[in-house]
Amino acid sequence: MKILIAIGGREFSKPTLDLGMKIANSFKSSTTIAYVGKKISQFSEKDVSVVHQNLDDRELYRPGIRTLEWAYDFLISKKYIEEKDSNKFDDYLLVDEENSRMKVLLKGQQSDKIDLIMRTGEIIEQLKDEVETNKHDITIIGGSGNKGIHQKLVQFIDSSVFVVKNYSVNKKYKILLPVNDSKGSDMAIETAINFAKSYKLNVEIVSVPEGKKSIEEVEKILKKTKEKFSKNRIQTTTKLIDGSAVNSIVNYAKDNSIVILGVSPKNPIMKYFFGSKPLSIAQKCNCPVLITK
Amino acid sequence: MNESYKVISSSILFWFSQKKWFVYSIVISIFLLNLSTPVGLTVPAYHSLIILLLVFMLVTFEPIPFPAIALLTLVLQVVLEVAPPDVVASSFMNDAVLFVMGSLMFAIAIVHQGLDIRLAKMIIKIFGKSKRMFLAGLMTISAILSSFLGEHTVIAIMLPIGLSVIKNIDTQKADGKNAVLLTLFSIAYGTIIGSIGTPSGGARNVIMINYLQEFSNVSIDYWKWMKHAYPILMIQLVVAYFVLQFTFPSSLNNIKMRGFKKNIGKTDVKKNINHLFSCLIIVGIVSSWFAFNDIYGLGIIALAGALTFMIFGMISWEEINKNTNWGVILLFAATISLGFQINETGASSWLVLKFNELLATLPSNSMNVSWSIMAVLSGLTANFFTSSATVSLIGPMAIELHPTDISFALSSAIASGFSFLTVISSPTAMIIYSTGLVSTKMFFRVGILMFSISIIILYLMSQFYWVTL
Repeated sequence: MKILIAIGGREFSKPTLDLGMKIANSFKSSTTIAYVGKKISQFSEKDVSVVHQNLDDRELYRPGIRTLEWAYDFLISKKYIEEKDSNKFDDYLLVDEENSRMKVLLKGQQSDKIDLIMRTGEIIEQLKDEVETNKHDITIIGGSGNKGIHQKLVQFIDSSVFVVKNYSVNKKYKILLPVNDSKGSDMAIETAINFAKSYKLNVEIVSVPEGKKSIEEVEKILKKTKEKFSKNRIQTTTKLIDGSAVNSIVNYAKDNSIVILGVSPKNPIMKYFFGSKPLSIAQKCNCPVLITK
Repeated sequence: MNESYKVISSSILFWFSQKKWFVYSIVISIFLLNLSTPVGLTVPAYHSLIILLLVFMLVTFEPIPFPAIALLTLVLQVVLEVAPPDVVASSFMNDAVLFVMGSLMFAIAIVHQGLDIRLAKMIIKIFGKSKRMFLAGLMTISAILSSFLGEHTVIAIMLPIGLSVIKNIDTQKADGKNAVLLTLFSIAYGTIIGSIGTPSGGARNVIMINYLQEFSNVSIDYWKWMKHAYPILMIQLVVAYFVLQFTFPSSLNNIKMRGFKKNIGKTDVKKNINHLFSCLIIVGIVSSWFAFNDIYGLGIIALAGALTFMIFGMISWEEINKNTNWGVILLFAATISLGFQINETGASSWLVLKFNELLATLPSNSMNVSWSIMAVLSGLTANFFTSSATVSLIGPMAIELHPTDISFALSSAIASGFSFLTVISSPTAMIIYSTGLVSTKMFFRVGILMFSISIIILYLMSQFYWVTL
């Protein structure tokens, strides 16, 4: 599994990086930590590039490197990377790769599982390119930014998207898994099983009877899902909740929930202009939300 | 749902989300083309104004690359019968375009020599007695250099000097944060203000000189421009110093001059010779701008500067080619060509006529009102559209307002240089913003005061000083 963690400002990115690395560690996946720098106007892009080269020559950190240095220090403080004298961040090489991608090479870096990269440009375009080029399975991003970004990420990025909202290291989390009979829901169940197994988290399976579905049919789905978890020896509770899907799930989710949802099967054009249920839940919930693809 | 349908519709949607302003611009242009031509305008003139609007939208929102906008401008001029192909081709290249090309290459060659180390030593020697003096020195040197060499050259040289002294400042504390902002804004404002000082300070100045020569047969040489603009520059510098001290009060205790000196590093004999040669070339080029710009034009002299660096092996063509923004050169050439057609077709006269009709409806209608609207409009447009492109497109209108009075054209070009409000308005602002230490809000908050004061200074100087020249 490959994980992409997008970080921005230091104070906002700490929970994102923390949760992202926990996930990466439990899945033993290779991780890319990406900082996407501000989009530069075409008028000034060459001037900015010349200035940044000049800063490199003078051994002054170019913009963005300080954020990656902070991320690196954070990984060391949490022991995701072992600190050695030969492994200081001061001693780095910035390798200019294609398509506005720059990779930080730390001399003597012992782990090839963690990459620190820097990109410049429009954030969705850059993250989409990163996911497509390096085939990441999950993109993890903070929840404090512009909500439009989350919508576009879910719509256009070819990986699961984890929006980390109000995450606290000290809280004991449990998974909230809304299910129905869609393909997306099946994927969400698989992911929830993996998460619950790796983290030893309890799972609450919920379903909302909507449209022509009878209560019996919904109960059947809940039972079937519970069995899948039981086979993996994961503790679950099930609940049938009333009301509209979005509002009921948003109201049901607590601060200590991690909501895992499947992507909507809706037509992409309809989703772009009118949104989708998973997206509305992700936007309204006050806790981390993972939309699986 | 069919998987391939999903993939295709998702790709189209992504393209649309990235290029929506291109689609909107084209739809608006097609809509305008289908309207009947306004009374008093010829069809080519009307079409030239539609292309102008299209270029404004495309350059502002950047949905497609600049070279594509440039080519579209040229193609549309011919397809919409604004001008025949030969006329479009001949208006595509002139001294202003050569100047943009030459000054960009010249800038890269200068920055490549690493003159910032020597300059840093000089600034320390002259202004190093106190930290406040040092910042005033950074601002003054930035302004003087920028007035001759242009913004992009100077900001590239000065920013490493500025960042060296604020390298280890803790920006979590207000005093430290203000020290960082004061340093960065001192360099940025010095560089921006300086660019109005001489014709070579910015492409917009050369474009306006070119337009004045072509449309009004008025010639402005290097010295004449300086006599008009340099006093404004000096007053602005003093004002900017106090505005920044007032906005970012700081003890400056965190600025480490020792760290700065350490960062300067040692120079060897080879470098010394290189620097000496570079200085000689720069002095030679600036002197030539003074002495020979009437004969050779500013563009050819700027190109000669880049050429000299290349001939002496001080920079390779690969380096120049890699770092020159060819897209911007193409775009300027295309917008200048469009500016010529707007004038030739009579579109600028029609716009000015409408502008005057609008003014006549105001209770007080005088030269001062039309000057103020024109100067503020130029300044604001430049801030949201970039300065040189603004002059290349609205310059013909500014001249048309009072073809024989150069104060309108000069004011329009100078006001376009007041890029204090937005980070997209000039390379300096964008470079400062790209450090991640200055936000767009912060830039606007300080800039609004500086912009307003600068317009007032420009007004007073045009009313009371320029008339004495």
